[in-house]
Amino acid sequence: MYGSASTHDIPAKATTGLENEDPILLAEFEARIARGEKIEPTDWMPQLYRKQLTRMIEQHAHSEIIGSLPEGTWITRAPGFRRKMAQMAKVQDEVGHAQLLYSAAETLGKTREQMLSDLVNGKSKYSNVFNYPTPTWADSNVISWLIDAGAIVNQLANAKGSYGPYCRALDRICAEEAFHLKYGHDAVVHMATGTPIQRKMMQEALNRWWPAIMTFFGPSDKMSTHTEILMRWKVKMATNDACRQQFLDMYVPKIWEIGLTLPDANLRKNEDGVWEFSEPDWEDFKRVINGDGPCNAERIAVRRAAEENGAWVRRAMQQPQARYVRPLA
Amino acid sequence: MLSSFDPRINRLELPDAPSIPTDKVALDQFPTYEVFHQRKENAAYAYVGPVHAPEADVAFLFAKEQFSRRFPCTGMWVAPTSAIQVTPYGNDQESVYNLLPLLPVESATADATGQQAYDIFHLKKRGKAHAHVGQVSASSPEAALQAAKAAFGDQRPVVNVWVIRSADLLRSDDEDRDMWTTTPDKKYREAISYKVQDRIDRFKQEG
Ligand SMILES: [Fe+2]
Ligand SMILES: [Fe+2]
Ligand SMILES: [Fe+2]
Repeated sequence: MYGSASTHDIPAKATTGLENEDPILLAEFEARIARGEKIEPTDWMPQLYRKQLTRMIEQHAHSEIIGSLPEGTWITRAPGFRRKMAQMAKVQDEVGHAQLLYSAAETLGKTREQMLSDLVNGKSKYSNVFNYPTPTWADSNVISWLIDAGAIVNQLANAKGSYGPYCRALDRICAEEAFHLKYGHDAVVHMATGTPIQRKMMQEALNRWWPAIMTFFGPSDKMSTHTEILMRWKVKMATNDACRQQFLDMYVPKIWEIGLTLPDANLRKNEDGVWEFSEPDWEDFKRVINGDGPCNAERIAVRRAAEENGAWVRRAMQQPQARYVRPLA
Repeated sequence: MLSSFDPRINRLELPDAPSIPTDKVALDQFPTYEVFHQRKENAAYAYVGPVHAPEADVAFLFAKEQFSRRFPCTGMWVAPTSAIQVTPYGNDQESVYNLLPLLPVESATADATGQQAYDIFHLKKRGKAHAHVGQVSASSPEAALQAAKAAFGDQRPVVNVWVIRSADLLRSDDEDRDMWTTTPDKKYREAISYKVQDRIDRFKQEG
């Protein structure tokens, strides 16, 4: 899901380090991207490109694996056998997405196990929306539909990026996401057009999730000094603001058409076709992404327990003579 | 103990804060395997991605789960990443065979001892997937690449070539082909089985 090019955690004054790069190699690299050719793992690339892509793909992978937790916990309580099966299939897809993405990030030099270590030790970030709880089935449906919808906006953009292994992983991921989106939409429509109690439950879940959804694409890009260079290198394919606008344009009408409301009195499309909305609370966003949200500790603890409980299986399978090499592509 | 409103989490009895940071790097870093799949009968095998596994059989199981779970597949091969010889990458539109040093191709009549089969894969465009083009027989991976140039070098473009000793590929068996027919009974995983428009229309009419 959730491939947010979350460059919002780049220190605003970080240097690009470009002055230390070989100017001829850098020119060839940029020319290749300008021609529309993809970069493959053995190609020369600037340090900043490697670093930003590693961080972005790694965060995307973590978001898939952590994002599977709030929906995963609803599998046994999903209403009806068919929904249990579908919810389980979706969760399995998301964990699979994490594996595809870890492998893509590995081609840049960081091992999967190092990434997983950094996740359970709280050193890495993942999509901030998963630091919020899913108290009801309707909350799980909001994730399935609207968080996945946001993720698809990001992923379709990123799939046109410049790094070959990330593009290959995203092509596969996007193909699988089509089911998630339809499944999520179906679940939300079912509740919203159902009994008054179902409808109320869905409206309340939407009210709870809307502020987090509005922060999903990250703060306005004006705040990052690297946006321009990352867009030239096709690491970042669309600004956070452009993604947010696209999302609102595609999904707000679909929310309204089933009689649901959104808890923002300023939300509307102006005559220029631009969506206006109340500015999200970015201070709160910062506080939560830095660890102080309702579910941060729980998400990491669950992930860590999974790692620890599975360690004996991996230990039993280990071959002493086996030698790790990073994947090729 | 970590407390959650979710009873399923509470039953795990997780500690509030972990004391020692976990460093799983040394323990769990399995080797990687590269996976090729066949989308339909008689199609060329194409690269789909890597898996991490302790050995080839397990890699095959992981690959089947990861890459054949959702879309049609009629066969799968896996090879250890370390067993794959990789040429440099060329530019799009070019043939990387042109960058290879010209060495004499082993004559087909040469002594057959020490000759082995190698599978050859071409990447046509950066960002796409390597696809199987055929097999050659040679006494080393380098010789196999020369033989591949002779056999397939007229194809254009070829951005990158992978050479894999055929014995290093673990291949699904034709006899086991029914293991790939898992998709038809899982319609709930298809976007197309969710038809929600009727319900929306009915809701709007009643509204
Ligand atoms: Fe998702
Ligand atoms: Fe998804
Ligand atoms: Fe996903």
